[in-house]
Amino acid sequence: MVNLTIDDKQVTAPKTATIYEAAKMNGVNIPILCHDKKLKPFGACRMCLVEVEQMKGRQIPACTTPVTEGMIIRTSTPDIVKARKMVLELLLLNHPLDCPVCDKAGDCDLQNLTYEYKVDTNRFVDEKFHHEIDYNNPLIERDMNRCVLCGKCARICDEIVSFGALTFIDRGIETKIGCEFEDGLNCEFCGSCISVCPVGSLLARPFKFKARFWSLTKQKSVCGYCGTGCNLTLGVKDNKVLTTLYDENQGFHKGQLCVRGRFGYQFINSDKRLTSPLVRRNGRLIEASWEEALEVVAARLKGGNSVAALGSSRLTNEELTLFKKLMLENVGSSNFDHSAGYAHSALTSGFARSFGTTASPASILDIQKTDLLFVIKTDSYETHPVIGFEINMAVKNRGIKLNIISDKRGKLSKLPGANTFVHKPGSEVSVLNAIAKSILDDKLAVGSVDSVQGYAELAEALKAYTPEAVSALCGLTAEDIKKIAREYASADKALILFPIGQGYVSHNQEMSCAVANLSILTGKLGKEGCGVLCMSEKNNSQGAVDMGFFPRADGMNAQQILDACKNGSVKTLFVAGENPIVSYPDKSKVTTALEAVEFLIVSELFMTETAAMADVVLPACSFAEKDGTFTSTDRRVQYVSPSIRKNSNCKTDFEIFSALISKLGGQTPVSSSLLFSEISSNTDGYAGMTHVSLRKESAFASVNVKPKLIVPKASAAVSSEPGKLAMVTGSALYHSGTLSQFGEGPMHVCPEAYVEMSRKDAANLKIHDKDIVTVSSPTGSLKLNVKVTARIPEGLVFVPYHFSAAPVNAIWDGAPVTMVSLTK
Amino acid sequence: MLCFRILFMEQVLFKHNRPGRMTTFDEYRSEGGFVALARALAGMSPDEVQQAVIDSGMRGRGGAGFPTGKKWSFVPRNLPGPRYLICNCDEMEPGTYKDRVLLERNPHLLVEGMALACYALGVQHAFIFIRRGYEQAADNLRLAVAAAHGAGFLGENVRGSGFSLELDIHQSAGRYICGEETALINALEGIRANPRAKPPFPAVKGLWGQPTVVNNVETLANIPSIINGGPAWWKGLAATPEAAGTKLFCISGHVVRPECFELPLGMKLGEIIDGPCGGMRPGSTFKACIPGGASTPYLTKLHWDVPMDFDPVAKAGSRLGTGGIIVFDQSTCMVAATLNLIRFFARESCGWCTPCREGLPFVRHILERIEAGQGQAGDIDILREHVRLLNHAFCALAPGAMGPVDGLLNHFEDELQEHITAQRCPFEGTHS
Repeated sequence: MVNLTIDDKQVTAPKTATIYEAAKMNGVNIPILCHDKKLKPFGACRMCLVEVEQMKGRQIPACTTPVTEGMIIRTSTPDIVKARKMVLELLLLNHPLDCPVCDKAGDCDLQNLTYEYKVDTNRFVDEKFHHEIDYNNPLIERDMNRCVLCGKCARICDEIVSFGALTFIDRGIETKIGCEFEDGLNCEFCGSCISVCPVGSLLARPFKFKARFWSLTKQKSVCGYCGTGCNLTLGVKDNKVLTTLYDENQGFHKGQLCVRGRFGYQFINSDKRLTSPLVRRNGRLIEASWEEALEVVAARLKGGNSVAALGSSRLTNEELTLFKKLMLENVGSSNFDHSAGYAHSALTSGFARSFGTTASPASILDIQKTDLLFVIKTDSYETHPVIGFEINMAVKNRGIKLNIISDKRGKLSKLPGANTFVHKPGSEVSVLNAIAKSILDDKLAVGSVDSVQGYAELAEALKAYTPEAVSALCGLTAEDIKKIAREYASADKALILFPIGQGYVSHNQEMSCAVANLSILTGKLGKEGCGVLCMSEKNNSQGAVDMGFFPRADGMNAQQILDACKNGSVKTLFVAGENPIVSYPDKSKVTTALEAVEFLIVSELFMTETAAMADVVLPACSFAEKDGTFTSTDRRVQYVSPSIRKNSNCKTDFEIFSALISKLGGQTPVSSSLLFSEISSNTDGYAGMTHVSLRKESAFASVNVKPKLIVPKASAAVSSEPGKLAMVTGSALYHSGTLSQFGEGPMHVCPEAYVEMSRKDAANLKIHDKDIVTVSSPTGSLKLNVKVTARIPEGLVFVPYHFSAAPVNAIWDGAPVTMVSLTK
Repeated sequence: MLCFRILFMEQVLFKHNRPGRMTTFDEYRSEGGFVALARALAGMSPDEVQQAVIDSGMRGRGGAGFPTGKKWSFVPRNLPGPRYLICNCDEMEPGTYKDRVLLERNPHLLVEGMALACYALGVQHAFIFIRRGYEQAADNLRLAVAAAHGAGFLGENVRGSGFSLELDIHQSAGRYICGEETALINALEGIRANPRAKPPFPAVKGLWGQPTVVNNVETLANIPSIINGGPAWWKGLAATPEAAGTKLFCISGHVVRPECFELPLGMKLGEIIDGPCGGMRPGSTFKACIPGGASTPYLTKLHWDVPMDFDPVAKAGSRLGTGGIIVFDQSTCMVAATLNLIRFFARESCGWCTPCREGLPFVRHILERIEAGQGQAGDIDILREHVRLLNHAFCALAPGAMGPVDGLLNHFEDELQEHITAQRCPFEGTHS
C-alpha cells in the first residue's frame, strides 16, 4: 500500500493501482470515457486529467498513471475543469446532438458529462460526420457518427471476447471503429461492445424505441440459460422485460454476458407463452380452470409406482425439492429424473465414485489462478461462453498454458499458444486413460498415490492403455499423449474443464472418472487453481443434482421411464419444463413412449412438441417471475427474486407442486424460503445458507472430496464405414437447451440447425456451404443446411441439438458417435 | 573569415562521403571504418562503451535531445529474455532529411554504430525501422549490412569476441506517428501504430515486452567516432563548451544553398545561414525560421545569434529538434506557413486521443478561415487555448504540432490580427 493525498484527503491505495483506481476506491470520482475496469488502461479520452504536485503541476491522465508514495493529487482545479470542458467541446464538434432519438440518452457518459460540466454553448463549430449506420445484423446497431473513439468496444472484443470483430481504421479525424473490410458486423453477437459503449454508437436493436432508459426499473437476476450462473440486470417497464443492462460490478464476470444472456430474454414476455391450463377432451386440448386441471392431475398422481416424473434443471432448488417430495412422499414413486438421465451422470455417478461427492472440486474463479488449463472439447466455449471469456483472459493476460483435447477444433484453439489435440470422436476416455498411463509410466504421479484407494486396480487396468496402443485408435500420436501428461503433471497448478449436457453423451460417468484420476494421480486437487470443473449444462443442473432429483437404486432413470411408458408399467408421466421430444435422443422412441403412456402431464412455458401431446398442460413461470435459488456449475448458490409479476393465470412450479401435495393430502411448505432452510440443513455444503443471506450475497456450497481411483471403461471404438461420416452432436454457441429457441436474439443469429463439415469431405461429396443436404442414419433422416468450416476434421460432421424444426434426435439414438451419410 | 572556419571544421559523419554516390564498404574500411568496433570488442567492456557515450555528452539527434548514455543506462540488465535496439529511421517531419542524406552517402557508419550500441547494451537482435519512401537509403543499408556480414562484423560470434548480432531492416508502411518510439514499436510488432502509455518506458518494456532502446540514425552513427577519438575529443567538436559533437543541419527555404551540412553543434543561427547556406537568396531578407523540423516554434531575427544547441534554443522558446531548418523570407505569410504545417499534423494524427484527433483539425479549420479572410474576433484566444489543451494529448505529436502555432502567437500575433481585422491575407499575391 502507498500513502497519497487526493484532493487534500489522506488516503491509501495498493501499489499497483492507477490514480484513477485509487481515487475511485476512496470515493473520488474522476470523469472518464475510455475506462472500463475489466480492460487495460487506454488513456485516450483525456477527460481524467489530474494535477500531481510532484509533476510540476502538469496535467496527467489518472487512468494510466500509477500511484507512487506521497503523491499529492488534485482532481478538480479550475484549470482541469477548463481542460475537461474543452475536451467535451471538441467531442461535441462532430457528435450529433440527436439525444431525443438516441436510446442511450439518460445512460450516456457524454451526455452526463456535458451536463455535469455545463457545456451549454459550444464555441467550436464543425461539420458532423456522415457515416453510414450499420444495420446489417438484427442485434447490434453501429452508428459511427456518435462514436467518441474510446475504443472500449474494440478492446473488449479483443481482450475478453477474443473475437476481434472491431478495430480502429483510418487515422486522424477520419478514424473510426470498423469491421474487417469495412463490412457489417458479423461476430458472436455477445453484445459486450454494447455494454461498454459510453455513447449511443452501439445499441441493442431489439430494444430500439422500446423505452427511455430512465423509465426502466433495474431488476437484478440470474441468467436462466447455462450453468455458469451469470448475474443479470433486467430492464423492466410495464411489467415487461425489455432489455438487459450492464453493471460492471455484477458477478464474478463483472457484468460480462454472452449472446443468450444479453439477447435471449424475449421468451419471458413472449406472446407464445401459455396463459391457461389446458385439459384434453375429445382429443383436443381445451382451456380449463386451475382447479379443474389440478383435480384431474391429482387424481392421476394417485398411482404409486406407476407414476413417473421428468423434471427440468431450469427449475429452482426449491421447486425441484418440492417435486421430489411430491413424488416420494405423496405419490409414492421413486421414478424421477432429469436431463435425459445421462447428462448428469458425470456428477451423479462419476464424481460420486471418484470424489465421493456429486459436485466439482474447483470453481470458475480457479481459471484465473491456475498455470495450465486442460480443456476437454473446444465446445466448452460454446456451452459456457462466459467461462470461455475467463479462459480467454487467463491465456491472454496471464499467459497460462492451454491444452485441449477435442474431436474438433474451435474458438479456444485460436488463443495464443493454445494446443489442440484433435482425436477421433468417441475416444475421449481412451485418450484420458492413456494420459493416466503415461503419468504412471513416466513417474509423474505424486509419491503418495499408491496409498489412494483403487490404485492397484487402476494401475493394472491401465496396462491396456499405453500411449502407443491408444494412439492407433484415437488418432493422436503417442508423443502427443505423453506431452499432455508431462505438461499437466509438471504444472504447478492445473485445472481440468469439461462440459456436460444432453448433447455430450460421451461426457459420462466413465469420462469423469478418467478425468478425476488425472487430478488424483498428480495431486492437482484441493488447491487453489487446481481441480476439475465439470461444466453443467443448464442454469440449475448442479442444483438438480444437489437436490437429489435423480433416481436412486429403487427408481427408474429417464431412459427406463420412457421404456416403461412404452410397455405400460408407467401409466402417468409428469413432465415439468423438459421437452424430451426435441432434446432427448431417439425422437421416435420418445414419441412412441409419450403416445403410449396413459396420461401425460406437462408443466411448461410454451406449447412445446411434448406439451402438445399432453393430457393436461399447466402454464408455468419463467425464472423472471419467481423466487428461489439456482446453483451454478461451481456450486455458487444464488437467490433470484421476481423481476416482473407473473401472469395472473400462470403458476410457478412451486405453486403447482404445492397445490398437488395439498390435494394429495400432504403438508405443503409455507414459503419457498422456509423450504430452503430445510434444504440448507439437509444438503451437503449448503449449511447456514438462507434466502436472507443469499439475497445479500451469493455463497459457495462447500465440496468435500474423498478421492478414489476408479477404473474407467472406454467405449468401443467406432469403426468407420466407407462413404459414411461420423456425426457428433452438441451445443451451438448461441443456444442452450431448447429454451433459447424462444429468445429472439439467439434465433436471429442462429435460426436453424445445420450440419457442419470439413472442407475436404465437402469437396469429396461435391457439397457446398449453404447447400441443403439430407443426413441419414440408421434411425432416420433429416434435411439440414451445410456449413463448411476449417475447424472440423475430415470424416466428422457436427449437428447441434437445440432445434425442434430440425431435431437431431431424428437421426441420433443417443450413441456418442453416429455414422451418417450425406446426400444432396 | 566564415568560409575559412568551415574549411577547418572537423567532420565525423560526412568525413567518408563521396560526391554523388554511396561510399563503398571497402572505402569505408580503408579510411578507418569498423576500427572502433574491432577495438571495442577486443579491449572494452560493454559498460566502458556505455560510459564513453555518457562522457561524450551525446544528446539524442532524433528531436528530443535526451542524453543517449542515460537512455541506455535505463535498460535493466537483470531481466530474463532478449533486449532490443531499434534504429528509428522513420524520418518524416517536414523540413528534416538528414538521415536520408547520411544513409544514401554512408550507411556503414550506422551499421558500425549500431553494432557498438548493441555490444554496449547486450543486444543480439537489432532493427532498423526505415521510412517507406527511403527506397535508396534502404537499398544502401541492405548492401552495407550484407557487406558487414561478409566481413564478419555482424552475425554469430563477431571477430571471435563471443558477441553476436543480427540486424534486420524493416521498411515501414509509412506514417509520421511511427517516428514516436512506442508507436514505432507497435508498428514493428505488426499492430496499429498508436503510441503506448508510458510508463512502462520501452527501456523496461518495449518490443514484445522486452527492454528496448530506440535511437535515431544520426545518434547511432556518431558512436564509432566517440569510441575512435574518445569522448573528450568528440565533445570538443562542438562550437561551444556546453555543446557536444557535430550536428547534421538540413536547411531548406529561402537561402542560396539549401543543403544538409555537418556543422559543430552550438554554431550560431546567423552563422549557419550566412556561412554554409551562402546567405539569403538575392532579394530575400530573413523573417523567421523553423529551427528543428516542423514541430518546433519559430525563431525570428531576434534569435540570429542564438547558438544552435539544445539548451540555448530551448531558452529562446523553441527546440533544436532534428536540426531541420526551414528559412522564411519577408514574403512569407506566417499564417499560411503555419496552416501548411498544421494540415500535415492533422492528417498524421493517429486518432487515438481526443485533443489531437479533434483538436488539430479544428485548429486547421480556424487557420483556414483566418487565411481565407473570415477570421473572427475570438479566434486568437481559441488558438491559445488549444496550444494549452493539446499539451494534454497522449503523446508528443499534438504538442509538437502546436509548436508552430505557439510561435505564430508569440512572434506574429500582429500578422494574425491583421488577417482578422482586414478580413484578408495581407500577403495575397506576394507568396513566393
